[in-house]
Amino acid sequence: MGQNVYYVVHMSRFGETLRKLREEKRAKDRRFSLRQVAQRVGVEPAYLSKIERGDVAPPSEETTRKLAADLGADPDVMLALAGKVSSDLQEIIRARPKLFADLIRQLRDAPEHAVLRLVREVRDGEW
Amino acid sequence: MITLERDRITFRFPEIDPDAHASVAMMRTLRLPDDGKTWPLPPGLGTFPLRHLDDFASRLPEAWRKRGGLIAPMAQAEAMWLNFSSREGLPVALRICTGKIDAVTGEAWSHDLSDDPQNYVVLPNQPWLDGYKVASDAIRQFVAMPLGEGYTAEEQITGAAEHGGLQFLAYPMKKERWEAIKREREEERRRSMARMDSAHFEDGVAYSMAMPCAAPARAAAPMGLSPGGRMKQKIFADRYGIDAWDTSRPSKLFVTLLNSLQWRAITGEDPPPSPATAERYTQAGLPWYDYYAGDETALATTDTLKGLKSVNEIADGKGELRPAESAGTLPPAPHRPGARPVREFGD
Repeated sequence: MGQNVYYVVHMSRFGETLRKLREEKRAKDRRFSLRQVAQRVGVEPAYLSKIERGDVAPPSEETTRKLAADLGADPDVMLALAGKVSSDLQEIIRARPKLFADLIRQLRDAPEHAVLRLVREVRDGEW
Repeated sequence: MITLERDRITFRFPEIDPDAHASVAMMRTLRLPDDGKTWPLPPGLGTFPLRHLDDFASRLPEAWRKRGGLIAPMAQAEAMWLNFSSREGLPVALRICTGKIDAVTGEAWSHDLSDDPQNYVVLPNQPWLDGYKVASDAIRQFVAMPLGEGYTAEEQITGAAEHGGLQFLAYPMKKERWEAIKREREEERRRSMARMDSAHFEDGVAYSMAMPCAAPARAAAPMGLSPGGRMKQKIFADRYGIDAWDTSRPSKLFVTLLNSLQWRAITGEDPPPSPATAERYTQAGLPWYDYYAGDETALATTDTLKGLKSVNEIADGKGELRPAESAGTLPPAPHRPGARPVREFGD
């Protein structure tokens, strides 16, 4: 039961966001029709339509990434809306599970600017 | 602040807009024939890998360690273009130098933005840069050559082989200007969504592919960038004006270029395979590209960069062998993809 509710929430949020992004693009560029986007990411238009309506669960990580790339959206945000965590992030956490689990929990309620301070900056030296 | 995200150099300006950032990717591509003809845009064949220099500091010379920044692999005579993007569309003024020589003006590195001549590109209006600006509508492609052999733009202009590599300096738009633009965009978005309710669109148009191919790597000195084949490309004038930029917080970065053997020895990773020749790529029926931005004004060029010699011209002058490339190929008709700037595999 709990699992079903989880999927319904993500199906709806992912689909709505996807549709909104695509429609905004289509307003300026007709190549963002349902049919053409489906063609570019390699799915049937009918399937993409069901995803947008929330009739089916969000697609695979690969398809979600392709959709994000086609629509100029952030792949991690789209994966999160789909209820998924990127496989490369999963690998990072699995490599040092305690460290990253502690870090993520501690940062849960931190404001964005505080989190950004933790991002690794490229060090600029003398040249 | 500058971060490295999936092989993209990402400039973030949280004090201007925490959601916005601009990024630069170094794209692998075909080397254009250095034959005096003007070529259309070659494709993107994926990004060059980038790594934090500090992760390999113990294996690097002291002079490189001091620079900080990133390292990237480029084989001798391999070409590259810079792919720009800006999340949320935040305008960013970006200076691009090779060997601390400006690729737009030919002037020496400094922290200054200038509008006479304009020494920067404006993101996201400028979608990419493929080389040194040698005419108002043409560049000479960025091609990696060993520093110290006289090929690089730095050596041609300064007479010294001191820096090599690639340098960036980014300034964001001032906060108040950016907020005004965002308000205008939101209004426009509302209007277009309202128009769309009654509009119908037709489908059409198709897409493209590209082809990777292996080529041998060579060991040599640290790499610099040199002018290669000539290509049709404009650098757009700043439509916002020099006063639009917040120059109080410079974000700058040095990318040290390693040849393939250095890259493998230092990082333990294989460098990416070098692409096919332009001739083989064209014979395979794969697309070249074109980009037309009718509402943008092209910058004039400077005498310094007009006078640069290409890799082949220098090799001929020194009596050395030219780097292997295709000969006798005609520039093909480009693929014009439409409103969205596209030139990458799978787009």
